[in-house]
Amino acid sequence: MSTRGPGASIGATGTHESGHRHPTLAPDRTALAWTRSALNIAGSGILIARAAFTADLDALGVASAIAIALVALLTWRHGQTIYADRGLEGALAHHQLVALRWLTAATLLIGVVAIVVTVAI
Amino acid sequence: MSDSSFETEAGPSQEPDAAGEPEAELADGSPGSRRALLRRLPWGAWHERRLEQTGSDLDPRFTFANERTFLAWNRTALALIAAGLAAAQFLKFNLHGLRLIIAVPLIVLGAVLALASYSHWEDSERAMRLRQPVRYSWMPRVLSGGIILIAFLGGILAIIDRLAQ
Repeated sequence: MSTRGPGASIGATGTHESGHRHPTLAPDRTALAWTRSALNIAGSGILIARAAFTADLDALGVASAIAIALVALLTWRHGQTIYADRGLEGALAHHQLVALRWLTAATLLIGVVAIVVTVAI
Repeated sequence: MSDSSFETEAGPSQEPDAAGEPEAELADGSPGSRRALLRRLPWGAWHERRLEQTGSDLDPRFTFANERTFLAWNRTALALIAAGLAAAQFLKFNLHGLRLIIAVPLIVLGAVLALASYSHWEDSERAMRLRQPVRYSWMPRVLSGGIILIAFLGGILAIIDRLAQ
């Protein structure tokens, strides 16, 4: 983005004095937050798979490990995609309602699998 | 997530595609077309459109901050679930089942926070689009109270387990 950089002055509403939108470093922080979320999901997947194998639920362990790895990959990829999308000149910051819903659903599913595995140990 | 609270009277929508068509795609495979594809998914597409038609467009930084807050809460929820799993695997009590009393509430608290964080994100997004104040969340209080309660419970269970030996 040509309007980004520490040297540019920003108004209170995030508008550069040239009139362009100036999102500062917020997209970078947001992309990093998506990456951290992906890492958290991956970590949860490792714990769930380990717990499932401990409880002799090998099939569940393998299935959940694959599914959660996929969710982590998609989460990371989505963060990168919207980072590139939001970096386009003049692009507005669209909210991510659908993506956040899927992420919430995935987290709830991880919670359900976690309870199943915990009870089975 | 009260759908009935969708309102549009605070200002005209600034969406270019108010007629109902997806926004202009940049090119096949570009981020814009991927976003348009996401919006065609049946689950949430209607709500997404309604949210976009609520109020007026935000300063991007507010959208980013709201999204980061949601993601932070979601990570907290995942951490609680992971803590519950760790408790189930690594806590050693003589009485079978005592570890469940620690593990299950942690996981349930994580699931509740995950659900509530989405609700709070949507409420905040709508409030900001309508230029209304963002409401305080009850989640920090529930999180603090839950952790204190579970820690207290853990202490009591450790004493009971010791006495039962």
